[in-house]
Amino acid sequence: MKDIRKFQQMYRDGRMGRRDFMAALGALGVGTAAAAGFLTSAKALAATPQKGGTARYANNLHGPDDQMDPMVFTSGIDYTRGRATYNGLIQMVDGMVLAPELAEEWSANADATEYTFKIRKGVEFHDGSALTADDVAWTMSRHIGEESPSTAKALLAAITEWKVMDSHTVKAMLSSPDSDLPAKLTEKQMKIVKMGTEDFRKGNGTGPFVLESFEPGVRSTHVRNANYWREGANFDALEITGITDPLARANALIAGDVDLINQVNAKSIALVESSETARVISTPTSAYTGICILKNTAPGENDDFVKAMQYIQDRDRIVRSILKGHGTVGNDHPVGPAFGPDHCSELPIREFDPDKAKFHLDKSGVTAAELFVAPVRLGIEEISLLMQANLKKIGFDLTIRKVPSDGYWGAVWMKEPMNVVSWNMRPTANAQLAIQFAPHGNWNDTFWHNDRMGELLKAQLAETDEAKRHAMLCEMQTLVHNGSGMVIPAHVNEVDGASNKIHGIPTVPFGALGAYEWVEFAWMEA
Amino acid sequence: MTLLSALLRRTALGVATLFVVSVLIFVGTSILPGDVANIILGQMATPESLAALRTKLGLDEPAHIRYLIWLSDLLSGDLGFSKAGAGTGTVGTPISEMLMPRLINTIRLGGAVAIVAVPFAVTIGLLAAMYPGTRLDRFVTFTTLGLISVPEFLVATLLVLVIAVQLGWLPATAYISGQETGLKLVRALAMPALTLVIVASSQIMRMTRATVLNVMNSPYIEMAILKGVPRRRIILRHALLNAIGPIANVIALNLAYLVSGVVVVETIFAYPGLAKLMIDAVQTRDLPLVQACAMIFCATYIVLIFIADMVSILSNPRLRHPK
Amino acid sequence: MAETETSFEELPDAPPRRRLRLSWSGKLGVVVVAFWMVIVVIGPSISPYHEADILDEALFIVPGSDNPYPETDYQPPSAVAWLGTDYLGRDTLSRTLFGARTTIGISLASTLLAYLVGVTLGIAAAVGRPVLDSSLSRLNDAILSIPSIMLALIIIAAIGSTIPILIVLTGLIYASTVFRIARSLGLDVKVSDFVEAAKVRGEGLWWIITREILPNVAMPMATDFGLRFVYVILFISSLSFLGLGVQPPQSDWGSMVRESLSGLPYGSIAPLVPAMAIATLTIAINLIVDDVSAHSGGRLARRMI
Repeated sequence: MKDIRKFQQMYRDGRMGRRDFMAALGALGVGTAAAAGFLTSAKALAATPQKGGTARYANNLHGPDDQMDPMVFTSGIDYTRGRATYNGLIQMVDGMVLAPELAEEWSANADATEYTFKIRKGVEFHDGSALTADDVAWTMSRHIGEESPSTAKALLAAITEWKVMDSHTVKAMLSSPDSDLPAKLTEKQMKIVKMGTEDFRKGNGTGPFVLESFEPGVRSTHVRNANYWREGANFDALEITGITDPLARANALIAGDVDLINQVNAKSIALVESSETARVISTPTSAYTGICILKNTAPGENDDFVKAMQYIQDRDRIVRSILKGHGTVGNDHPVGPAFGPDHCSELPIREFDPDKAKFHLDKSGVTAAELFVAPVRLGIEEISLLMQANLKKIGFDLTIRKVPSDGYWGAVWMKEPMNVVSWNMRPTANAQLAIQFAPHGNWNDTFWHNDRMGELLKAQLAETDEAKRHAMLCEMQTLVHNGSGMVIPAHVNEVDGASNKIHGIPTVPFGALGAYEWVEFAWMEA
Repeated sequence: MTLLSALLRRTALGVATLFVVSVLIFVGTSILPGDVANIILGQMATPESLAALRTKLGLDEPAHIRYLIWLSDLLSGDLGFSKAGAGTGTVGTPISEMLMPRLINTIRLGGAVAIVAVPFAVTIGLLAAMYPGTRLDRFVTFTTLGLISVPEFLVATLLVLVIAVQLGWLPATAYISGQETGLKLVRALAMPALTLVIVASSQIMRMTRATVLNVMNSPYIEMAILKGVPRRRIILRHALLNAIGPIANVIALNLAYLVSGVVVVETIFAYPGLAKLMIDAVQTRDLPLVQACAMIFCATYIVLIFIADMVSILSNPRLRHPK
Repeated sequence: MAETETSFEELPDAPPRRRLRLSWSGKLGVVVVAFWMVIVVIGPSISPYHEADILDEALFIVPGSDNPYPETDYQPPSAVAWLGTDYLGRDTLSRTLFGARTTIGISLASTLLAYLVGVTLGIAAAVGRPVLDSSLSRLNDAILSIPSIMLALIIIAAIGSTIPILIVLTGLIYASTVFRIARSLGLDVKVSDFVEAAKVRGEGLWWIITREILPNVAMPMATDFGLRFVYVILFISSLSFLGLGVQPPQSDWGSMVRESLSGLPYGSIAPLVPAMAIATLTIAINLIVDDVSAHSGGRLARRMI
């Protein structure tokens, strides 16, 4: 019965077709007629989202630095609250399709240097004031400029100005072409706030839920926005909290204390899967965790050393036994298969090869190295330890220095010659490459400055021919694969958990539980 | 009269200790890499954006100036604002607002544990001391030692797996919103309290047993035995009375631990108490919040230790009238 | 020191010495402690694997199975790994054997340091001038009132987590607790009749400390020592809970429990083996301590039963 429920769930979630469903039930010894009955009940559930209920969500991180200011959102709990409270101009729905949100429509000039956005009319903030072009321009202008603290400003670097054309039209003026701009505007930091907001903790947005209470590091409560501009959320209310311990989080889900969690770690996956009450939702993404080897200092300035560190990655075993299959093999460049056609599948995977690693290591003459490890993403410690163990087998002693994750980005990352890093999936392949590998960029964390890379990044944004775009993307991935100091052994899935009572979670790979879209679209079985 | 003067003296010394602690904490957190701005912006910080955010949050003053501002605010009864959750806005969260619910939670949990653990542990420790070397003593010894040697997180996780996940009797997390009363509150507190009772009892039990046995070694007890005073009377009237000082100290240290040191239990049960808040505050470099927590912990400790010392003095006539 | 004791019938300047006789439980304690001491010395050389080794998948292939990539983590005990494997597919037995040295080494060093500093300063405060007592007590209170885990968090985040730093840090944190107990016991002893008597006889301060005060605080301090030792192990394990503690791949028992905690729901013994190691050692040490205490303090009590 449990298996049948699981298959029904998969069918409802669209992870299983009708034919597969019937076959799977047949395999369980369920007769065709009975199987058809189960299919109908699954369909019925799929077809009729129910209103009501309080969804309780537990995030893996939270603390006094929980934010309600979208511009400096950095963690899943911020993104979730942001999705509940605010709206963006454009959103990403099932299957990575762009859909209008607060911008009813948008258009670009021929060379993609000027974008016009028509802002939806009749939208109200939670305080009752109307949304106008001024709010949009004010919000978006906050992301511009050297001094802007925006954590997403790299994506909008080409924008020089946001202009208010009339009460419901804004224009973005760009210094260089960017055909990816609409996709970039779906980022979690680009939520629209009221012009002139000083106290963000009130969460005055236009979103599907009104912020009722907000205690950073404890929890927040949200109630459905009765005045929402579209049909709106199914849940009556949300309770958002954090449970930092991975096992405790999984146990809370299984025991029914919470309905949704993010980051089911590899060791808890089987536990949740075998429970009667909850399930794992795993979405392939291009997010990755890996090792930065700085190219501007020893030992990384030696290309052979970097090669050795890349060949020593037992990529298949990492995906198989560390990620428990919830990931894809990485190829030392940041654009994973989750980017679909933008991923360069022509480039052969760099296979695990201890002999080649030893050859390059001997050639490099490096005899010792130190890797700084902080738990920046689940799995990275294990990956580092596997690397250390495999290096030991070829006679190289890698020292691991475990450091706390607080302060890591300021004190260790981009400073120590070898450190671990984690990057989330960006809205486009170009953005993913640009953030980390644009020559002399702010976040070029391996200090690999390649001029050709810079040219290609710019040219690809202006290119409209699909074949040429792909060729350029592929060349860039190959450049990074061969030249940078980045070791990317695996792309990690977004692995979250939900109670079996929760349905209708969209599939969007840019964050937890359908990139936080569950907030508005999921529903609860009464 | 001696008690009053001792009280006044101790209060003055307590304030001095608080001051020392605030300086230590301030220096300690200042040498940590990064500040609130670093934490807010995380991986996406740039030198320019950090500088801009620091100005906005008022972090660009030199450290000693910020300390003096904090101190003068404190003296006027203002704990300041936590800026970590303010984003780029100018309005932070008043620290008193963040502390109060957490403080109540901590007192609830600590109180629940103390009410159960202290009488229980002292009684058992006393029993073991009354019959040293007996089966009862051995049993108590083995059990308490076995229990203390298990890390808190193992105890907690085993309890969760058995009681919450397998049996479904109690919730896996002790998450409380502050509105709970009666049975609901008891249910929420039960699991973390049980874990902590196990942890806290053992030390009190061991030290009670040891201290009472030590006193039994004293000449006047020997004298009492020789005089033929009944055993029960010797233990309860004489031995226990003289062992009270050290036992009170051990209890005080354990109670202080229940207020400030239970971060593992608060984490596993997602219980919003003070210990976790302070760790979070350190990790987000939220200095005023760290300081406020430290002041609470320090004051709690001073009060508890003062009580313990008073109990020792009152229970030992020699200390009461020093020559 | 624990063998010395003073009472009215015996002249204070000629303490009698008696042979320490262990009960069966004390003997058991000695055997277990001796066992772990042997492991500390020879553990790494008799261990089947190195503590850092992540076992190959090939080792776990079931004959006749077509799965070339079996799971290696949280494996039950088998001929390949006698006590099963941990969360990463490392041999639990090897890590426990290697871990003995790290765990016992760090804990013993930290506890000894805590005692050296704590007892010295505690007794000094008890017998010294009021100014010394007062200033030492204030500083001690300040350190003691800051939660130890937080002190560790700050110091490790600031200067890193190497074994010497861990030892000194833990030693000093626990010295503050030892100080309080030593001072409190010292004060009690100081005002007792035999110390008064010694003062009247005109004995020197040093004589009083070494011959009267230390022997009389030794027994309760020994009980505390037994506990303190395990608290240090547990403290280091709670550091690993916050992601601090010893550096991987080194194993210490407390961290091993923490690392493999997620194996519990699957019935893995990986977290239980190091927990058992900690428990056996703790119980054994404390059983010996109990016998030592009973030897000096329990004599009368036993006579009463």
